[in-house]
Amino acid sequence: MKNTIRIERAIKDMTQADLAEAVSVSRQTINTIESNKYVPSTVLALKIAKVFNKPLEEIFILEDTD
Amino acid sequence: MKSKFLFPYWCRYLGWGLVVLHVPLSMLGKTHGMVNIMDAQPTNGGPFSGEHLFFICTTLIMSSGLFLVAFAKEKIEDEQIWHIRLDSLRWAIFINYIILIASLVFIEDIGHILELDFWVPLLFFIIRFRWMIWRLNRSLSSEG
Repeated sequence: MKNTIRIERAIKDMTQADLAEAVSVSRQTINTIESNKYVPSTVLALKIAKVFNKPLEEIFILEDTD
Repeated sequence: MKSKFLFPYWCRYLGWGLVVLHVPLSMLGKTHGMVNIMDAQPTNGGPFSGEHLFFICTTLIMSSGLFLVAFAKEKIEDEQIWHIRLDSLRWAIFINYIILIASLVFIEDIGHILELDFWVPLLFFIIRFRWMIWRLNRSLSSEG
């Protein structure tokens, strides 16, 4: 599963730390999600989508290998 | 994220303190002919004798220290930390049972098996968990 968090952050001019604070996780977690090393839970994914005011499917995109 | 059944963050330092405290205590006891968990010998003098109580004390200090270190919260306890914690726990149980089964087959001394079971899972869990956290932090610093 890939995601567009890095792009959305750039649009909103947010740092990883800002997003981490907004969804109550560590900066490490945001970093590993962005680099596709960690797949977040549904709750965290929904929280991230809510921060960017976008539907979940626009932030997290399934790949053929999933 | 709500983290149940975990000690507060500062308990980690208390835990390390207890583990460190166990070393001079055991050495002091050894000079006075007492046994500790590392010796894996039966205590002389029967249950609740001075030597047995010393054995219980040093073993409890070490194991409760390791327990506190293993199950103290991180500064930010999020779902990824939970994931790493559970994964490390799974590995610790795997390793523990591999060692236990191997000991059961190849070692006749049953005292050693109990002793291994006492600290191997906790120690392996701590090493694996801390190593994964260190890798996580390193990946963050390398990406800036």
